[in-house]
Amino acid sequence: MDLKLLKTQEHKRRVKFGYMWALFCAVLWGLWYIPGTVVWVLNPFDEMYGEIAATNGDGMALVIVAVLITAFNALTVMLALMVWNGALGKFGEMKRTLKEFHPCSKWFFLASIFGGPMAILGSFIAMGFVGGAFAAVAALMYPVIGSILAQKWYGEKISKRAFLGIGFIILGGITIFGGGVLSELGSGNVAWIGYLGGLMAAAGWGIEGAIAGKGLDIAEPDVGLTLRFVGENIIWWIIIVPLLAIVGFPMFKYALLAFEPMTLLVLIFAGITFGFCYVTWYKSFPLIGVGRGQGIGNLYGLFAVIFIFLFFGDVPSWTILLGGALCLGGSTIMFSEDTGEMESLRGD
Amino acid sequence: MAGNRPIKFRILELCNDNGKWNYEIVKQIQKEYNLKGNFQRDSINFDIIELASGGMIKDIEVKVDEDGIYKKGFLLHKYVLTDFGKIRAADACLMYV
Repeated sequence: MDLKLLKTQEHKRRVKFGYMWALFCAVLWGLWYIPGTVVWVLNPFDEMYGEIAATNGDGMALVIVAVLITAFNALTVMLALMVWNGALGKFGEMKRTLKEFHPCSKWFFLASIFGGPMAILGSFIAMGFVGGAFAAVAALMYPVIGSILAQKWYGEKISKRAFLGIGFIILGGITIFGGGVLSELGSGNVAWIGYLGGLMAAAGWGIEGAIAGKGLDIAEPDVGLTLRFVGENIIWWIIIVPLLAIVGFPMFKYALLAFEPMTLLVLIFAGITFGFCYVTWYKSFPLIGVGRGQGIGNLYGLFAVIFIFLFFGDVPSWTILLGGALCLGGSTIMFSEDTGEMESLRGD
Repeated sequence: MAGNRPIKFRILELCNDNGKWNYEIVKQIQKEYNLKGNFQRDSINFDIIELASGGMIKDIEVKVDEDGIYKKGFLLHKYVLTDFGKIRAADACLMYV
């Protein structure tokens, strides 16, 4: 067989697998909003909310409960990823990578600061204050921040077409935030902290992606992601949760109460969907490129709105639908780019 | 020191001089890190693909695997470190400047 034909075949095969991984990522990510929304009404989180709200007000209660939920989310994600690495036989590589603080693990821990307390906490706040569909669609803005940072900072290639796609996503984002704020300003009931949460999710994930990319390009992604979640667990369970407990919030009391079968099941569901959405996300990048990987991954917004409709019967408001459609349009522009140019992601 | 640092660091080192074929890299890594079996073999090869797509290494020669050195009928690639790869590697594992 001739070389050229084999080369195209190899490339096609890669692209096919890349799209498959990215699609898995989108489905899993979309699914994550179900446990993420359900967990709010489960005990002990519901009771905890009531107790804190009685003394500190609703807003404070939501943020504090969101912290505990995010901390549990980080814990179950880390467990799911540990099982995954165990199955792949990568604990040895994990130890080797962890020891390389300067070139590798430094970046993962830095990424966990933006991914955890900023993006994931922001998402949970948005879910709690505004709703799952809003949280999902708001975070669609993250590739804008991620790709601009990646380009400015380490010269990742971004094509004109990708810029066009990003433009659409920005428009979509404005519709989601602006539209919601306008209609709620009219009714005099702005859940501004929910919108802030949505913004935190978009900015946090964008920054996380750019920072993590720096460490991941010379490390094993499965291992790097696990270390990133180890970092997040340190932030929550060793720093923030104890601090809040010292300040006087009943963190540990309710943390211990979380070991109820139903709550645990939902938390584990969240851990598995979220953990593997990260894994599949990173698997897609070397095969189809970051821009397209994120573009397809962004279909999670659509899946989330569909799943939330199917499971809860929530019909999202028209601004969220319109904004989501614009974001998806932007993603489509990004991933329909000709694949020939995508063999390498950076200029030499 | 063999088998002591992350696998990708070692792959970058191996591609440093005149370039290396992917099957040579895979075989050497398997030996140095004591990784056996086809699954580990493919996983190391995927590391190489990741490094190439990240622009750290690039292929300078391609040939068809006629004799089944790696996988019969598939392509073999010879990789060399790029300038970008050299900068990144200098930061992590290789001593240049």
